[in-house]
Amino acid sequence: MARTSNEAGAGTGRLARRRRQLRDFVDETEPEALVTVGVMAVSLLAALAGFLAVSPLTIVPFVVFLGSAGYGWARHQGLTARVLTFSMMVSTILILLLITVFIFVESLPVIQYESVTVSGITVPGLRLFTQTQWDAVSPPVRYSMIPMIHGTVMVTLIATAIAAPLGIAAALFLSEIAPPVVREVIKPGVEILAGIPSIVYGFIGFTILSPWAADQFRTTGQGTYLFVGIVVGLMALPTVVSVAEDALSSVPESMKSGSLAMGTTDWQTMTSITLPAAFSGVSAAVLLGVGRAIGETMAATVMLRGVPQLTEPLYNVFYGQATLTSLIANNYGEADGLQMDALFVAGVILFITVLVISIGAQYIEWRMRRKFGGDV
Amino acid sequence: MAGATEGDLVTGGTSQTNAVAAGAVGLAVLLFALALAALFEAITISEPVAGVPVVTLLGLILMALGGAVITFGVGSYLGYVETEPSPSAGLVAATAFSTIWFVIGGLVASQTAGLGSLGSFLVASVVGGGTFALTALPREDIGSTLPAGALTLLTGIVFVTGTIGPSWVWALGFEQQASFTAEFVIPVLTLLCALISGWAAAKAYGGFGARGRHIGAYVLVYVNAGAIIGVLFVLIAFTTLRGVPGLLTGFEFGPGVGPEVGLFGVSVALPFSLPFVMNGAALLNDFQGVLPAIVGTVWLVIGAVVFAVPLGVGAAIFLTEYAERGRLTQAVEVATNGLWSTPSIVFGLFGFAFLVPRFGGNKSLISGMLTLGFMLLPLVLITSREAILAVPDEYRDASAALGVSKWQTIRSVVIPAALPGVVTGVILGVGRIAGETAPILLTMTGGTFVPGGQTVDVIGGFQFTGAPPFVANPELLQATTALPFQLYALITAGVGLGDTVANPADFQWATALILLVVVLSFYAIGIGARYYFRRRLQS
Amino acid sequence: MSETTETAERTETATDQPLETTSGETEEQVREEWREYVFDGRTKLAAEDLDVYYGDDYALKKVSIEIPEESVTALIGPSGCGKSTFLRCLNRMNDRIRSAEVDGSVRIDGQEIYQESVNLVELRKRVGMVFQSPNPFPKSIRENIAYGPEKHGDLQTGLLARLLDRSDEDEREQLVERCLRDAALWDEVQDRLDDNALGLSGGQQQRLCIARCLSVDPEVILMDEPASALDPIATSKIEDLIEELAEDYTVVIVTHNMQQAARISDQTAVFLTGGELVEYGDTDQVFEDPRSERVEDYITGKFG
Repeated sequence: MARTSNEAGAGTGRLARRRRQLRDFVDETEPEALVTVGVMAVSLLAALAGFLAVSPLTIVPFVVFLGSAGYGWARHQGLTARVLTFSMMVSTILILLLITVFIFVESLPVIQYESVTVSGITVPGLRLFTQTQWDAVSPPVRYSMIPMIHGTVMVTLIATAIAAPLGIAAALFLSEIAPPVVREVIKPGVEILAGIPSIVYGFIGFTILSPWAADQFRTTGQGTYLFVGIVVGLMALPTVVSVAEDALSSVPESMKSGSLAMGTTDWQTMTSITLPAAFSGVSAAVLLGVGRAIGETMAATVMLRGVPQLTEPLYNVFYGQATLTSLIANNYGEADGLQMDALFVAGVILFITVLVISIGAQYIEWRMRRKFGGDV
Repeated sequence: MAGATEGDLVTGGTSQTNAVAAGAVGLAVLLFALALAALFEAITISEPVAGVPVVTLLGLILMALGGAVITFGVGSYLGYVETEPSPSAGLVAATAFSTIWFVIGGLVASQTAGLGSLGSFLVASVVGGGTFALTALPREDIGSTLPAGALTLLTGIVFVTGTIGPSWVWALGFEQQASFTAEFVIPVLTLLCALISGWAAAKAYGGFGARGRHIGAYVLVYVNAGAIIGVLFVLIAFTTLRGVPGLLTGFEFGPGVGPEVGLFGVSVALPFSLPFVMNGAALLNDFQGVLPAIVGTVWLVIGAVVFAVPLGVGAAIFLTEYAERGRLTQAVEVATNGLWSTPSIVFGLFGFAFLVPRFGGNKSLISGMLTLGFMLLPLVLITSREAILAVPDEYRDASAALGVSKWQTIRSVVIPAALPGVVTGVILGVGRIAGETAPILLTMTGGTFVPGGQTVDVIGGFQFTGAPPFVANPELLQATTALPFQLYALITAGVGLGDTVANPADFQWATALILLVVVLSFYAIGIGARYYFRRRLQS
Repeated sequence: MSETTETAERTETATDQPLETTSGETEEQVREEWREYVFDGRTKLAAEDLDVYYGDDYALKKVSIEIPEESVTALIGPSGCGKSTFLRCLNRMNDRIRSAEVDGSVRIDGQEIYQESVNLVELRKRVGMVFQSPNPFPKSIRENIAYGPEKHGDLQTGLLARLLDRSDEDEREQLVERCLRDAALWDEVQDRLDDNALGLSGGQQQRLCIARCLSVDPEVILMDEPASALDPIATSKIEDLIEELAEDYTVVIVTHNMQQAARISDQTAVFLTGGELVEYGDTDQVFEDPRSERVEDYITGKFG
């Protein structure tokens, strides 16, 4: 079934082996059980096809699937369980694929619309990134991602400047410094900080921080990247803390003792041994925090002005226009046609960016695990 | 060995000088508190306290702190104070100090002296470079105290002489105008100076050297940990304080005042009435409430759990027990982790593009349930996989050695052992999705105020029909509201609320509080469950 | 949980009845006798009535011992007898374990190390430690050796020092070579000082840890079963090294292996279950003619 071999290049051999395994499986299993499994598989596939095709008849194969699964459970529990768990795993992968496919497909029209011909070659979607004007009403209708990318970068930079140092310091505190009693209090505290819904942060930001900031900085109207960045940094903090803490506590105790037995202080041991040894894990933590900050929606939506424009000058953090996420949340209501598709482009950018960050972080963690011999 | 020092095993009594350094740390703490109070406008910087203007007071304390830090450093350098300084304060301190002084030099040159950008840059470089040399070149006791003390002293002098007074404003001259005002700059500068001088004083308290650095760093780390917990506490306390009045609007206590609750055909009137959570919204209501949103949230969570938990746990079982470790399991792992970090608004877009057209083309409860289910799925899979992997192989081997089949082993050994981990993970995940707004924004949005009559009743909503798909549930297919969305709608509705509720601010804060209570109770249960299982495992 | 209570009960029965010893004396008398054990040389370390508890469990009970300088002292005994705990008391590494409580006195050159104002940095510089399994830092071999002196400010090799031309690189090279030579590792690694220390073999790693320990010029070297994770060839190299080190340093070694103790140590102290020091004396005497019957049983393999 899900066998992958480590020998590379043995494609045909693997196929033959797979076929032999399948034949063995068919030979060994009772015919009746085979039929049940077959019905389950076919009906589930049919249900999926029906669902994708928006058919009202989807219910029929689905009921057949439930029936055959129930029968199989009663008669051949082991086999049915195996098939069921397999199909659950396949569904999970399928959902991932569907997400990727659907947001890409929806974004295609506007990418087509904003194509630019550069020296004879048509580059789809290039104009989304070469001009800064977003105008969905008056012709020429133009969609640009530049202002929102600028906003996301500003917010993420400020958020990272807050979440990374404070998060790493808090992780050091939790894993190396805090007495057990304090740790028992602060660890759930950090988790709860992660649990506070982003709309609550946004609400407090909107009702308290935004007016206060407008007053302090004498700005016209409310909404600054500075304070959105601070709030988002606070929201990314728990991610950084918990991942970095895992990395720090996976550094073997014997290494730390070795350093302390040389007569170094705890702080020297942390900065010279523990942090460098856990460096990759800690940087993965920061990366994941950045990913959280990029994807944060509601606080940005309610605290920003929601105007797809650049700030003047570009480093003016006291004005906040829109981020990729807030663009979607602000405009989904009245958008249709190309404008809706443009929102999907923002979604695709977010999806790809965060996916790359996540894979990067996983790669770093994987290397770290290899370094310490897998006992992380 | 170069310059090997033969120190004493027992450190001598330096209690008196320690007291000076400790006093400086105390001053820094006082300044820190004052600056926070000024920042949150608990004290107003333009008003005098005990006859002295606050700015002057802050300036005087800053001067005292800066003076103390410098005195200690110089005293140590001249040998009046017994310390063990390193030959240099180090690169990190030098970089940090020179950056700060670079900025100060540049600002003074360009804003006060009115030099051009090149001149300012030159001045800034000279000041920054000088600070770098002053920090890095001399012994640590000078290098780590002089730049910090001088900064604090200078700030104090600027405050006391009124160069930066209560009415000071610095317009930045941006196209979109923004200014630094005294209300912001004075507390923030004080905060910065308090932190830096506090660090230098803590280092001095430890006698510089390795021990001094240790204490200095620990002070900063403890302040950071305290600040995080402080923010958490303030957030929750503030929301509670502001939310309770709205929550208790129209609260009544007494026999029979509450709405009737039917159970097994017997209906009982509750002995209390809390209109905010028991009412919907209606034109003629005395008190408006958010009951439909609460019920909507509950159904959303139930739907997401029913969808995601079996799928996620099943997939985790297959991946860990049946599938061989290889490229497939690795790919699934990478993909689920990627999905887990995917922004929630992207799930919303997906739900909008994929689910909404398949459930009647309107935003609906079931689209919201499934979208949240998709979000919950990777977390369930990751935590279940971790929990199943944590079950020791000895259990499986012992069971297999008794001749028990693989599935029986999984069912009676692996799953029960992994259950605590799975349950805890699911509860924490539910806490997360229950507060999500962005995905349901695009898949399930109802109105801002939903009448109590529209409270969803999924169980009562099932109907059988003659045409395919034969089962229909209009309750599932219509849009309803949920707490996070309701809060969002209240924010965006803004002033228009005034017509519907007597006190819009109270109503908003009460909604935020209820949302916080619902979400955090999931977290409390999850954290409690983990604690309980761990304790049971240990005993 | 249940296992510890069992051990505790066993200890009680063992201590309650004064066991008959080989020469017909009670255990108390034996203890009195070896307390008057006189060795050649100056006392380097002295513990007096040292108690250690982990929560309610005794790890050490009223241990008193004097250890002479420039010799090898072996601590032997069954597992869980507290010998490692005792070793860790000598440089206060037990401070790392929060539940551990130490009562009593330990003196080095007559200076009490369990008092308020002790400088742990100085103490651990003087009393070095080598651990059971090799624990080199994930840095180069050179950095491993230079780590201690750099952290104590005795060697300036950082970026800043190099920028200011204050770098002690020559001193560092000399130090690295001297320590590696003293740890009998120089010939094997002199060409690859910049390689990561984790790439060395287990025996080499352990000798590197010994070299690292020598880099801060300790007076005492504590070794916690330093050869238990190594193969016989690596073990014999470490044993030779220990004997050489004893010419300049005071070595205290915990070992499971009685032959090892007999081979390399000058004095032997026997701990038995319950954290008691049961016998202490010249290695030859302890192994050939133990005063206590329990020690004889342990050494001949009847008990423990």
